[in-house]
Amino acid sequence: MELFLQFCINGLMLGMMYALVAVGFTLFFGVLDVIVFSHGDTVMLASFTGLGMYRLLEFFHPGLGAGWVVFWVLAAAVAVVAVLGMLTARFIIMPLRGAPALNTLLATMMFGTALREAVRLFFPDGSNPKPFPRLLPDWSAQFGTLNLRFDNLVLFLTGALIIVLVHLLITRTKLGMAVRASAQDAEAAQLMGVNFRLIVLVTFALGSAAAAFAGVMNGLYYNEINFNLGLMLGAIGFSAAVIGGLGNIYGAICGGFIFAFLQTAGVAAMPFASAYKDVFAFGVVIVMMALRPTGLIAEQSSRRV
Amino acid sequence: MRRRSRDLVPPGPAGCILLALCLLGWSVLFLKAEEQSHILVYMITSGMMVLVAALSGLHAGISATVQDNELTWDICLILVMLALLLIFCDDHYTLFLLGTIMIYAVTVLGLNVQLGCAGVINFSAASFFGIGGYTAALLSGSGLPPLLALPLGGAAAALTGCVLLLPMLRTSGHYAALVTMAFALLFRVFLEVSEWFGGPQGLPVPPLNLFGTDFSKDAHFGNLDVSFYVKYDAVCLVLLCLVFSFVRRLERSWIGLAMDAVRSDETASACFGINIARWKIFAFTTGNLLAGVAGALYAMMLGYISPANFAFADSLLFLSILLLGGLGNSWGVIPATIFVVVVPEKFQVIQEYRYFIYSALVLFMIVFRPAGLLPRTSRHYFGRPA
Amino acid sequence: MTHLLSCSSLTMRFGGLTALDSLDMEVGEGEILGLVGPNGSGKTTFFNVVTGIYRPDGGRVVFAGEDVTGMSAQDICRRGIARTFQRSRLCLDLTVLDNIMIGNHKNLNTGFVHNVLRRRAFRTDYEAGLERARALLRALNPLLAGRVHRPVSELNMIDRRRVEVCRALIGSPRLLFLDEPSAGMTHEETRRLMDEVLHMDMGGQPLTMVLIEHEMEVVRRVSTRCAVLNFGRKLCEGDYESVTADPQVREAYLGAEL
Repeated sequence: MELFLQFCINGLMLGMMYALVAVGFTLFFGVLDVIVFSHGDTVMLASFTGLGMYRLLEFFHPGLGAGWVVFWVLAAAVAVVAVLGMLTARFIIMPLRGAPALNTLLATMMFGTALREAVRLFFPDGSNPKPFPRLLPDWSAQFGTLNLRFDNLVLFLTGALIIVLVHLLITRTKLGMAVRASAQDAEAAQLMGVNFRLIVLVTFALGSAAAAFAGVMNGLYYNEINFNLGLMLGAIGFSAAVIGGLGNIYGAICGGFIFAFLQTAGVAAMPFASAYKDVFAFGVVIVMMALRPTGLIAEQSSRRV
Repeated sequence: MRRRSRDLVPPGPAGCILLALCLLGWSVLFLKAEEQSHILVYMITSGMMVLVAALSGLHAGISATVQDNELTWDICLILVMLALLLIFCDDHYTLFLLGTIMIYAVTVLGLNVQLGCAGVINFSAASFFGIGGYTAALLSGSGLPPLLALPLGGAAAALTGCVLLLPMLRTSGHYAALVTMAFALLFRVFLEVSEWFGGPQGLPVPPLNLFGTDFSKDAHFGNLDVSFYVKYDAVCLVLLCLVFSFVRRLERSWIGLAMDAVRSDETASACFGINIARWKIFAFTTGNLLAGVAGALYAMMLGYISPANFAFADSLLFLSILLLGGLGNSWGVIPATIFVVVVPEKFQVIQEYRYFIYSALVLFMIVFRPAGLLPRTSRHYFGRPA
Repeated sequence: MTHLLSCSSLTMRFGGLTALDSLDMEVGEGEILGLVGPNGSGKTTFFNVVTGIYRPDGGRVVFAGEDVTGMSAQDICRRGIARTFQRSRLCLDLTVLDNIMIGNHKNLNTGFVHNVLRRRAFRTDYEAGLERARALLRALNPLLAGRVHRPVSELNMIDRRRVEVCRALIGSPRLLFLDEPSAGMTHEETRRLMDEVLHMDMGGQPLTMVLIEHEMEVVRRVSTRCAVLNFGRKLCEGDYESVTADPQVREAYLGAEL
């Protein structure tokens, strides 16, 4: 029973992280009909920016309070990654509007590779895994043999809060309405006075900011980051968004949790072969594509974004 | 001015021979160079020459000569390759590079059938390449003649590809891209954790053996040492010639036309009786088969394979070569492969940065010249019409 | 009179929209049926259902005595229905010849051995195909026959339409659907194109045609019979004069008179 709960907690944490990434994928697809594969590497960059910021603070303000450290680490990650997202939109995605979808996908893959390699080559000793500092207090509550960590709870709740905020922003504000209008029909939205380019930039900043949280969360959860984690996170976020049905935020969130469930269930069901968990998860994704070719919530009938 | 520089290239077979000789001379100079500064100078000069040729209209003359004398040009290129093998017959390293170029070219030609002709997205070319390689490794204890590893590797890759057919045919666009991408990631992880396939350490691969000649031993003729790689390169050359002519014939036939139609417009194709699923399956399987054969040969040449050779990044590398060369143009594959394989190997300074440089380069290519180095040309079934 | 094509109570819905509402339509052998109606009245949907792009929600399509309802586009094409598209759907980077030969796909030998290994046999096959494409082009526009190896992207609109017509005709269809051949062309160009199509020699076999057209002048000159659609239903049919005189038709186009 305790083991089962432990698996559940693990799965929920992973699922939240994946959902945060998948929301970015689905937002970008909703507005521009593109897959921005470099989004996974954006997450990785956020982790490294957070780490870099932490090191800077350690160097210049050794006695800074823990709360401020968390704040600055997050702020740096969000700022850098949001700007990067906007630059990606402005200089890679927008010029490729009208080109075949494959070109955009490939271009962003190449951009992702470039980011990954840049971190590996130019971050000090970037090719080795880096320890990520524990910034949150390590309180924990013990229920029998089940260990509930306080920092996990904080991370999970923050993730949920961000998703809810993104959702409210999209559904309840004027800005969100402009985003949804652009997603439905960019041309008509433009005719109605929506500044499409601005909306695209805002969407990319928004999606990337969610990814920044995922990145910092990833670092805090595993206490270790690696230049390579973006590829897998990108593939998982993409899978999650596709499983849910591209362009649909609820779908992306479900997809994230489904993927995390697949991975943890893979470990739980086959403890002797836990190394095969990714094989199992991606295998199920392939089978799902055969059964539901446009995702669980089909793209056509779903309301985009 | 444009007119005159175009006429600098003699039109007949003589032009082909002249071009081939230039090519041979330049390749020998480049491959012999060791000093990094010399190599840099060669590279810059090559780039300038290509630029000058493109701007002055010389390239039009070159392409006209080549297109009008296809057979001569093909023979000239084979002779150039043979000459290179002879010149570098004791240089393991250069010979290995040449072999790698030819094997990669075969794989990318397969990818061209998939993506360039039928528009079938495949992000797992390196996985099918790997399936060929692992087939060669697993055949070691079976007592079968090693040459059989080539067709069996191809068959294994093609059959494995069939697993993906159903999800691939039912999906399109980004959804289809995910299917092969998931497969590529799954395959790599699978190789790393599976003990049967040697885990992360990989497996040794027995050398090729043809007509009783062991391909792992150097040969000696008098005082001339001949590297064992010469034998592999010869097999690679035969394979490349066969595959290249196969792909060219395929492109210039009703099959190529049907695949083009499927790529351009599925609805219109269906309205003219074209069986879309059939041609997608054909293209996907053919491409995987070629990748598998190439992978088996590569594994035997390398003598050892590990999962690290067949990562997602390698699939992207194959795709990059195709896009650099020009999607849908088989001739573009050759210079693009040479560029991608040789430059970082010779110019060691950038070795560490090569993935960074490739990705940036392909990114610029997609944004500024999406058709590639040698863009797709109109189909002429039997040479250029007068 | 035997009908080449007969559709009965054909229904097609897209979500809440009923594009075809139990439509009955017959086309007799050798007839040229002009299909008219306001935008969104279901004309193109009718084409798409009959040619197998959409599967109808109800009703039957019988072509040459065979029930082809719900068959794939590919199977219906093989039974002898060819079409052009409202928005030109040529493959722009392919040559004129390639585009036309795509239309002949069902008659081409796409066997592996024939295409790849026996190149000599393939060459004879290819030259026969080339000659046939040239003959068709010559019948439409002699100048176009000389540009058979040029990419379609180099052609102007009327020549692209001609290529499309050749692509539909090269497979010797029994029934030809023309979806707004006048779109994007001037009156004069449309008139020329339609004259060319009408005077095309189809080897003695009468060509049966269904034509969607907004240019009433074209419909008047070409069609032997007209049918008017509105909201997916047939408003009326008959010869051009009787159809244009029908008050219901005037109402559909101009709105109800006050």
